[in-house]
Amino acid sequence: MRDKTHMEQVKRWANYVRNNPDWKKIHTEFINAQFEKAYQAIEKISKMPNGKEKIKKLYGIKNEKGYPSIFLKK
Amino acid sequence: MKREISDRNILDKFVLDFCRVIEKHTDYIIVSGFVAIASGRTRGTEDIDMIIPRTNFEKFGEIHNELIKNNFICMQSDNSKEIYEYLEENMSIRYTNKDKPLPEMEVKFAKDKLDYLQLKTKIKLPLTGIDVWFSSINMNLAFKEEYLKSSKDIEDAEHLRTVYEELVNETEINEIKKLIRELRL
Repeated sequence: MRDKTHMEQVKRWANYVRNNPDWKKIHTEFINAQFEKAYQAIEKISKMPNGKEKIKKLYGIKNEKGYPSIFLKK
Repeated sequence: MKREISDRNILDKFVLDFCRVIEKHTDYIIVSGFVAIASGRTRGTEDIDMIIPRTNFEKFGEIHNELIKNNFICMQSDNSKEIYEYLEENMSIRYTNKDKPLPEMEVKFAKDKLDYLQLKTKIKLPLTGIDVWFSSINMNLAFKEEYLKSSKDIEDAEHLRTVYEELVNETEINEIKKLIRELRL
């Protein structure tokens, strides 16, 4: 369990969302940055030894044909 | 309170595209973590959870085919019969955009009275800026506080309680929690 300062920050941000219309812009940058990092990581992992197998395991992919740039690329 | 939406993030776009296909064929609700995230909670997620009413194989096949036409891929299989078996066993099927393992939509059939109650009491949340159906705030609070209970869920609940203060109804939450105890615990 995280300490109480974390919950305080959750409440502080929730109040910011309630009261400030610019929350969405800040939030969008935060969410998109996470995915950009994840996409970069997938690209790097796919080039590692046994990388494609690692990606299959990480994401539970059974249908390789659906992800040609990862699994069908030489 | 003035609220406006400046832009949409990767998760918003993915959910909107997916729901536009689903809503042509069946009822649905988005539940759990994405309700909090779409409402401003700053935490990561890779998956969005969706509940749809039980459908027969023929109807599911139509939904699956249209998802494929719209550039979605089922991570488990291309074979709609095989995918339908997951649903029949109350397991999730997972769709992503073609060639992108993230984000993913986990779709499940409604499995009991509680899930059908969630579908019946679905709501739209203008704050999120996305026009899709969510399970109600009281329903989300009850599940997070009574059933899921991880640190992440308790923080999600606190976020929802603050942001949607006007929608929180303790009597309703307690009734749902009672149902959860009867049906799920």
